[in-house]
Amino acid sequence: MSIIEMNNITKIYPLGNTTVPALRGITLSIPEGDFISIIGPSGSGKTTLLNIIGCIDRPSDGTIQVGGREITDLNDNELTDLRLYKIGFIFQTFNLIPVLNTLENVEFPILLMKKHTKKEIAERATQLIEAVGLKDQINHKPAELSGGQRQRVAIARSLVTRPDIILADEPTANLDSETGASILRLMKKMNEEEKTTFIFSTHDPDVMKYAKHIIKIRDGIIAE
Amino acid sequence: MLLILKISWRNIFRHKGKSIVIGVILFLGAVIMTLGNGVITGMDRGLNKHIVENFTGNIILISGDQKNEAVIFNFMAESVEIITDYTKVKDFLKAQPYIKKFMPAAFGAPLVLNEDGGEPDFNYVLGVDFTEYRKMFPDNIEILEGRYPDPDERGMLLTDWNRELNFKYLLGYWITPENEELNKANLIPEAGELGDSLKVKDRMIFMGFNEKNTTLDIQAKVIGIIKFKALNKFLGFFNLIDIESFRECFGYFTAEDSASSIGKEANKILKLDDSDLDNLFGTESMFEKTDIQKNAYDISSLKKETEKTKQIDVDQGSYNQVYIKLTSETPLLEGVKKLNQAVKEANLNVRAITWKKGMGEVADMAMIMKGALFIFVMFIFFVAVIIIMNTLSMAAVERIPEIGMMRAVGARKTFISMMFFCETSLLSFAFGGLGIIVGIIAVQILNAMDMTTTNEMLQLFYGGNAFKPYLGIVDILLAMIQLSIVTVLSTIYPILVTRRITPLDAISRD
Repeated sequence: MSIIEMNNITKIYPLGNTTVPALRGITLSIPEGDFISIIGPSGSGKTTLLNIIGCIDRPSDGTIQVGGREITDLNDNELTDLRLYKIGFIFQTFNLIPVLNTLENVEFPILLMKKHTKKEIAERATQLIEAVGLKDQINHKPAELSGGQRQRVAIARSLVTRPDIILADEPTANLDSETGASILRLMKKMNEEEKTTFIFSTHDPDVMKYAKHIIKIRDGIIAE
Repeated sequence: MLLILKISWRNIFRHKGKSIVIGVILFLGAVIMTLGNGVITGMDRGLNKHIVENFTGNIILISGDQKNEAVIFNFMAESVEIITDYTKVKDFLKAQPYIKKFMPAAFGAPLVLNEDGGEPDFNYVLGVDFTEYRKMFPDNIEILEGRYPDPDERGMLLTDWNRELNFKYLLGYWITPENEELNKANLIPEAGELGDSLKVKDRMIFMGFNEKNTTLDIQAKVIGIIKFKALNKFLGFFNLIDIESFRECFGYFTAEDSASSIGKEANKILKLDDSDLDNLFGTESMFEKTDIQKNAYDISSLKKETEKTKQIDVDQGSYNQVYIKLTSETPLLEGVKKLNQAVKEANLNVRAITWKKGMGEVADMAMIMKGALFIFVMFIFFVAVIIIMNTLSMAAVERIPEIGMMRAVGARKTFISMMFFCETSLLSFAFGGLGIIVGIIAVQILNAMDMTTTNEMLQLFYGGNAFKPYLGIVDILLAMIQLSIVTVLSTIYPILVTRRITPLDAISRD
């Protein structure tokens, strides 16, 4: 069963008096529980594709279904809720909330849902923190963590709401190769344990070997 | 909400520099606003105390025909319309439960004539029944020389301020109360310099005039020299004179006039119109049958006549205004409204106005000063809003990645807005609250310092001779409301900025 269905998606950005096409008619189906890498050179449209899948950008044309729901006509609050309940994000620069510690950062999305008890939230967050190997750093603020540790916190945070999809835009770009590899192993582990679909973009050939499927994108179209 | 509070609280400490800048502005703004409110209220209370309680009462009742409502302090010295049938008005006012006290008076600006020649000029005089005046305003004046008039005594109380002005610019002679030695200690330097050549008199000559351009001179003996205990440079323009002398001066209907009985025949003549003049020569009307008085100088009838003069009811004569004090629980405007409604129902040709309208330019000046202070406070308020707004907007731009990420992981715009608002509110509560407390303490200190002034403008600003800022519960609440408005206004734009931040912005920053 497909978790994402994209049909002839185009994205055009205005640039002064002219326009720049970022995506040119992408049609794609991503099965549930997959571990997919989107690869391609800089400016090929990887990030734009991830943004549209992640409901943080709207396509200029075409249709897209996330978890069986058409998203092109949703309003801002509906898209925000969709992101909260269905999608987890891992950013390139590990964006965490600086004033919250590891536990609080991981708890943040689930607290926004307002449907779990304090105990349930703490249990779920602690379990994930342990799973990403940060038990000893549970009370540390982001500034007290290394880059790899912050990305682990981001992974735990992206999983805490049990989303259907996790999107990671070049999650290892700012990490050394060893830490990057450990992060990818962790993502793979979580994909297997939590049965969550992982879609990540990269242009690092070493990263690609972890993927079950690879989507190659060039000049805004799927190359293979 | 707890999550918002937690993030906001920690963000305040994370961005210490900005928090301190905003906090200091809020603190200073709150201090100035609280102090400003205290000064404005103190001024209002001062004016209320010194003018309402000691000069005009809350409401002034004027003739329904009166056009210019500045019936007390009009620099053009326009004449004031007479209140007709005051006895009815008196009975009517007595029946109003929200009126505590009232007193009729007559305001006018007669010319002061110089017996030694020279240009005449105006003096303001207030015609009153001294006994009633003292009951209405028991503690408003200080007798510097002479005494307070006895009941029904004819004469005037001259203010020290008018005595000085009259000496310098009008009369050239010094005035002392009748039968009083010259008090050299009270002489102004210009008078003192004249030494033995200083002319001293105990009377003033006023020339009043009425609507028919009839001029009437009276000579008023000076019974006392007075000083208003507060705002003397303003209220000191008004000499007090007995009401009967005032009426004579302005050709008003006096109480004595009303006491004189008009014969049947005289009445008949008065009622004749021009076309009926022939009737004057009718034999019937020319003569009247009467008994010959055998005892023309009957002492008992003369005694009776004297007593009758003494028992004249001054209220039978004319007045042109009535000063009214309301009961403490009646607000001024409500009192005016009620009174005007009741006046209408009673079909009386009078109108109630506030003391401020009656005081004309003086009240206007006071209101202008109050307005200027209010504008100053609002300016501080505005500057605070602009600075805080800028600082917060910059903070919002700096936090795009953080806010964008929050939006990406599922925080709605409302959450972000609340977070920003909460941060400013916490700062406002802490620093602004401290500012209000400091403002309250500053008001208490200023009050205790008992600063006095003789400067007229400052007296208006102070609302009296002493600077007595005052903060009541309402003023403190007002400061809190102003602070809340500053908080809300200063966060509107930054919140709009944050609401425009999208998850895409956070990623673009990467």
